[in-house]
Amino acid sequence: MAITSTLSSDGSLLTIYIQGRFDFSSHQDFRASYEGLEKKPERYRVDMQETSYLDSSALGMLLLLRDHAGGDKATIEIRNCSPDVKKILTISNFEQLFDIR
Amino acid sequence: MSDDTPLTILVADDSDTDRHILETIVARDGHRVLSARDGREAVSVFEEEQPDLVLLDALMPNLDGFGAARRIKALAGESLVPIIFLTSLTDTESLVQCLDAGGDDFLSKPYNRVILQAKIKSFNRMRAMHSTILDQRDQISRHHEHLLQEQTVAKQVFDNIAHSGCLDSNNVKYFLSSLAMFNGDILVAGMRPSGSMMVLLGDFTGHGLPAAVGAIPLASTFYGMVNKGFAVSDILREINHKLKTILPVGIFCCATMVDINFRRQQIRVWNGGLPPGYIRRASGGEPEPITSTHLPLGVLSNQRFKDDMQLYDLAWGDSLYLWSDGIHEARNADGDMFGEDRLKAVFVEDADNSTLFDRILGRVQAFVGEGRRDDDLSLVELRMDRPENVNAVAAEAERRSRSTLSEWTMSFDVLPGSFRHFDPMPLLLTILVEVPGLRQHSGDLYTLLAELYSNALEHGILQLDSDLKSSAEGFTQYYELRQQRLSAISEGLIRIHLQHSTTDEGGILRLRVEDSGPGFAGGARAPALSNDSHAYCGRGLALVEKLCDAVHYLGDGNEVEAVFSWSSDA
Amino acid sequence: MSSNNHLNREVLTTLQEVMDDQFPVLINTFLTDSEERIRHIQKALAARDSDTVRRQAHSFKGSCNNIGAECLASLCEKMEAAGRAGELEGVEQQLVEIQQEFSKLKGTLKSFAG
Repeated sequence: MAITSTLSSDGSLLTIYIQGRFDFSSHQDFRASYEGLEKKPERYRVDMQETSYLDSSALGMLLLLRDHAGGDKATIEIRNCSPDVKKILTISNFEQLFDIR
Repeated sequence: MSDDTPLTILVADDSDTDRHILETIVARDGHRVLSARDGREAVSVFEEEQPDLVLLDALMPNLDGFGAARRIKALAGESLVPIIFLTSLTDTESLVQCLDAGGDDFLSKPYNRVILQAKIKSFNRMRAMHSTILDQRDQISRHHEHLLQEQTVAKQVFDNIAHSGCLDSNNVKYFLSSLAMFNGDILVAGMRPSGSMMVLLGDFTGHGLPAAVGAIPLASTFYGMVNKGFAVSDILREINHKLKTILPVGIFCCATMVDINFRRQQIRVWNGGLPPGYIRRASGGEPEPITSTHLPLGVLSNQRFKDDMQLYDLAWGDSLYLWSDGIHEARNADGDMFGEDRLKAVFVEDADNSTLFDRILGRVQAFVGEGRRDDDLSLVELRMDRPENVNAVAAEAERRSRSTLSEWTMSFDVLPGSFRHFDPMPLLLTILVEVPGLRQHSGDLYTLLAELYSNALEHGILQLDSDLKSSAEGFTQYYELRQQRLSAISEGLIRIHLQHSTTDEGGILRLRVEDSGPGFAGGARAPALSNDSHAYCGRGLALVEKLCDAVHYLGDGNEVEAVFSWSSDA
Repeated sequence: MSSNNHLNREVLTTLQEVMDDQFPVLINTFLTDSEERIRHIQKALAARDSDTVRRQAHSFKGSCNNIGAECLASLCEKMEAAGRAGELEGVEQQLVEIQQEFSKLKGTLKSFAG
């Protein structure tokens, strides 16, 4: 499991890459990837291309990110989900909270 | 070759005077001269030296000019050897005779040097052109041969993939032209481990190589997934995605996918863009059309792709007929199309199902007529039959469904020394996916096991309170606490109990996870079923409830059971 | 038949240019060739072989045309026609005319070649 992030050159988009299993053990790294930025980005993108699995605590972490990013005003995209990951996001109704593709 | 390249020229004339004049003119222009005194000598000199041009007197002893011309033309074969007749004959009949014998031109006496030079030049140009054309023809034929060879190789590769399936089953009849791949038609059929048969008839847009490129990924995806027992919808989606990704816009695959469940006597059909197939009941009656309700494969992105299928109950002996538009569009000599009405008529004219396939094919081929048959026709008949009659895989699945290890349980205890680092999920999952038909549900099973296990560990054994997770700081604190308690723990037990039984369609798996904690008395609770989608916590058991049929809380709440029923033909 | 028809000077001059140093050889070839043809015609006449008469006369005519011996060529043509018709009556007389014409020509040509 590894979490990395990149900020676009104008600071408007933060992309967080999650490799391997996304569960409670990654919550420190996940928080660190978006907290402590000088200026809050306008948009967030969580790239799950390399994410093999996501559990219920990861769902909680995604909600933490959403509230940090401004709650209902937040713009968060979740990208490149595998079918298994997508299924968990879908049955948790996360499509109403995130832009999932 | 330019038109003044020196040539080798044969002069055949029995008159020494005339020959001497010609030899001199030709040699002065830099050409090499060969001489003959009569027709026979002319032929033998030609045979030995293969001159480029022949000047031939018409009347000569020992084989006249006409006879010599015929033999020389025959010897020259396809290379162009112009023959100019030297003649003082002036009557039309004689001139026609010269041309008939293969003569290309005339030169009359007295010889005119300038005219002869012009003629030689002109024939030289013609020869150059002719040899260029021959070269190009040979080149084209080499290219063509090469192309055919490549097509043969491609077809071999394709056949190896396409024929790994079960088109040879007893309930399948099909007709495909030998180069169907290059017409864009493809037919694949495979058995799922559960004993159901999947058949896909596809028709790629276009012809030739562009139409063939999609065939191999389609076939390999199809067989890879069918053999592993994937669901029809997953296979359709994967093929759609693959084609959408690799094929250029405008090339796609009209297809019908059929899933035949012999045990349940049901078929499910997905038709995207192919002409309607027909169900023909053994009991007779009008054929029932199965029309296209979807867009072809490779058009829509997977987000917008629809995989819903039409379900039909079939009796033994009922058959399904599929075809590509080649049959409807087959034309006769007058350019009329065979069309749907003629096709329907073949169905109605005879109640005998066993001859229908041959009748359809025969009727279309007779309509088209000799010469053009089997151009672009693809026809498939699929019959509903008892599994033991279909093929070995279906028979084996049927046998297994009766004799399988249908009921079993296992119990697995995780002890304190393993709580901190051990993750029991991979081990348990490895066992579960060995159950035929469960593999395709491995994602769901993983989530069920993982959520039940962490629920037991965190709330039962470690006594952590979910309420902590209501804020971001609490969330972090929760997991710090988890870490602390985990390193201190020295007693307790988590028991994972698996119970499996088979049903006609698949099976029921009960996953029970029990912990040694105090249960509700110690603060454990049934999850809030309101499912507040904004709460950071309490999602684990909610997820479990959505993924399985029922969740039971047993004992004092320190035991949770999830009931997961599955079907092998999802 | 006017004397300028015996030999077409223009044809002969052109031939002289074309043949260059080969011209005397050509003239000698023609003379030998012609004597040969006349002998063949004599034989064929004696044998009443009209087809050989036609062929020999035809070939002789071609060579004469090439040399520019127009008068001799037209005598040959007459004989060729008689041969084709299979009518050899009076052909002996034609042969005499050909022989006379040839011996006249021989002198002129030799002076040319010389």
